[in-house]
Amino acid sequence: MSEPLSQRAATATPPVLAHRIRGLSDRAIAWIFVAPTIALLLAVNIFPLIWTIRLSLTNYRSNRPNAPVKWVGLENYQKILHDPDIWNTFQVTAHFLIWTLVLQVLLGFGLAYLINKKFRGNDLWTTIIVLPMMLSPAVVGNFWTFLYQPQIGLFNYVIAFFTGADPSSFSMIGDVGLAPWAIVIVDTWMWTPFVMLICLAGLRSIPPSIYEAAECDRASKWRQFWTITLPMVLPFLMLAVLFRGIENFKMFDLVVQLTGGGPGSTTELTSINLKREAFEKWRTGYASAYAVILFVTVFGLASIYVKALNKVKDR
Amino acid sequence: MAEVILRNVTRRFGETTALDDVSMTVPDGAFVVLLGPTGAGKTTTLRLVSGLDVPDRGEIFIGGRPMKGLTPAQRNVAMVFQQYSLYPHLSVRENLAFPLKSPLLRTPRAEIDRKVAEVANVLQIAHKLDNKATALSGGEMQRVSIGRALVRNPAVYLMDEPLSSLDAKLRADLRTELKNIQANSGATLIYVTHDQIEAMTMATHVGILDQGRLVQFGPPREVYENPVSIYAAGRLGQPRINILPADLFGTAPDGARFIGLRPEQIVQGEGQDSVVRRVEHLGDQTRLHLNFRDHDLVTVTDAHTPLRPGDALPIRPDKPFYFDANGARIV
Repeated sequence: MSEPLSQRAATATPPVLAHRIRGLSDRAIAWIFVAPTIALLLAVNIFPLIWTIRLSLTNYRSNRPNAPVKWVGLENYQKILHDPDIWNTFQVTAHFLIWTLVLQVLLGFGLAYLINKKFRGNDLWTTIIVLPMMLSPAVVGNFWTFLYQPQIGLFNYVIAFFTGADPSSFSMIGDVGLAPWAIVIVDTWMWTPFVMLICLAGLRSIPPSIYEAAECDRASKWRQFWTITLPMVLPFLMLAVLFRGIENFKMFDLVVQLTGGGPGSTTELTSINLKREAFEKWRTGYASAYAVILFVTVFGLASIYVKALNKVKDR
Repeated sequence: MAEVILRNVTRRFGETTALDDVSMTVPDGAFVVLLGPTGAGKTTTLRLVSGLDVPDRGEIFIGGRPMKGLTPAQRNVAMVFQQYSLYPHLSVRENLAFPLKSPLLRTPRAEIDRKVAEVANVLQIAHKLDNKATALSGGEMQRVSIGRALVRNPAVYLMDEPLSSLDAKLRADLRTELKNIQANSGATLIYVTHDQIEAMTMATHVGILDQGRLVQFGPPREVYENPVSIYAAGRLGQPRINILPADLFGTAPDGARFIGLRPEQIVQGEGQDSVVRRVEHLGDQTRLHLNFRDHDLVTVTDAHTPLRPGDALPIRPDKPFYFDANGARIV
C-alpha cells in the first residue's frame, strides 16, 4: 500500500493494454478523453440542427411519415416572412420581451440597491424576495390564474381596493388589452429576484473605500451613484439582461399555463406559435423553417449584445 | 487652511479601543506625522478628522468650528487612502479632475485643466493622463490618488501612508515634493506612516500613538531628544536606541531600571572596553555592532573606520536617558 497510486495503477494495467496506451501520443489520448462529449454534442445538438435545416426545405409532415416528401426550397421561409399571423406573434414577443426586461432591470436594480444598504434583517428579506424564482413556472402560472380570477382573485381585489373599480369589472387574462400585461406582470414577479441577485453581486464588488474617497471629494450621493455605482454595476446588469432576454425569447411554460396564448392570439409568443405549427398542425417542414428563423434571430441579437457587453467591461 | 483640535476623543470598535482619550492640537500650517505600529490608532485618527467615522466621545474642531454631525464634504478635507481607491472606469485625467468638478466648487474648465496638468507634472504622471486608472502600476495609482488630494485647496490634507507602495527613489522625490507643496501652500497636513525617515524629514510635529493613546506630541527633534518613554524613544532614530540595564555602566539614578543610549550618546575611545562584533559599511557612515558585558548594542562611527570584528573599543555613555520599570523616562 505504500507505493504511490500512479505506480499501483501502472502495475495493475494488463500488459497488453499498457503496451497499446504507451504507443499513443498525448494528442491522441486527449482526443480519446474528449470524444464522448463531442459525440454526445453532435448527436443531440449539431445533428438535430442540420436535420432541422434540411427539413425546413421540404413539405414533410411528421404525422404522415409515409407521404411523399417534396423538396420545396425556400418556399417555407418565404411563406413565414409573409404571414401576418407570424408577424403578430413576433410583435407579441417583442412587447413581452421589452417590458419584462425594462421592469425587471428597474425593479431588480432598485431592490438590490435597497437590500445592499445595511439594515436589520436584510438577509431575511433577500431570502423572501428570492422565493418566486425558486418555484416551478407551471405552479406559478397556475396560481396566478387564481390571483387573476375576476370574482375571487386577490390581484383584482387589490387593484380594486386602490382604484375603487369593481374587482369583477375586468379580467387580466380574459381581456384582449390586459392579457399581454398579465404575462408581463407574472414574469416580472417571478424573475425580478434573479436580476436583483446579479445586481447585488455587482454592488457588493464595489470597494467601500471608493465611496469614502468620493465622500471626501465632495461628490453628492447623486453623483456617486452616476459616476461610481452605475458604471461599476453595468456589466453585471447587462449580463442579467442577456440571461433574461434569451430566456424570455423562448418563454413557453409560464404563459401556456397562464393564458395558453389567448385570448385570441394576444399572448401567443413565438415559441407557443411554433409549437402549434409543429405539433398541432403537424406542418413539420414549415415549423422547421420557423425554428431556423428564430434561432438565427436569437443568435444574431445575442452576438451583437455580447459584443456590447465586452465593450462595457473593457471600459 | 485651518487648525485642527482633538479634545478627549475616544473611539471603540466592539471590545477594542482604537483611540483612547486623545487630545491634540494641530497648529494651522503644521505637518503632523502620526507614528506607531499597526493598530495604534493612526488611521482611526484620520478617519475621525475626515468625518468618515464619528468618535464615541470627545470633540473635533477644524478652524475653530466643531465638526460634530458634519459630513466629509462639509468639513472640506482631502484624504489619500492607503488602498488607492481610484474611480476605476475613469481616466487618470478624470480622476484628478473629479474633486474639482464638485458642484460645491464651480471651478472653471480652464482652471481645472491647469491644475490637473500642474499636479500631474509634480507627481510625474503627465504622460499617463489619458490612461485608464486601472491600467496603471501600483505606484502610479498611488500617485494619482495623492494628486486627487493635491488638486484641491482643502482645510486639511489627510494622508494614510501615501508613499508606502512606491519605490525608494520615487519615495524620496515625493517626500521632498510633498514637503515643498505643504510649505508653499501653508496647508495643514496630517500624515500617517511607519517610516521614521518620512517623519523626521517632513514633520513639523510628530505624534506617537501607542494602543490608542497619544503618548507624545511635539516637534520631531524634541521627541527625538527628549522622549517620554522607551516606546517613544524607539519610534525615532536609526539605528534604534539601545536599551540596556541601568547599572551596566556604573551607578544609576534612583528608580532607574533601564538606560537608553542613542548612537550619539555613546562616546567612543573612552571608558570601558567593548568588543566589536560586526562592522557594516553603509557608505556615508559605518554601523558598529558591539558587545559590552554580554549585552549587544549598535552605534555608528565614521565611514572610513579601521575597526574590524574582534577589536576592542572603549565606550562611555554621555548624557543618557534613564527609564523606570514601566518604561517611563526618569532622567
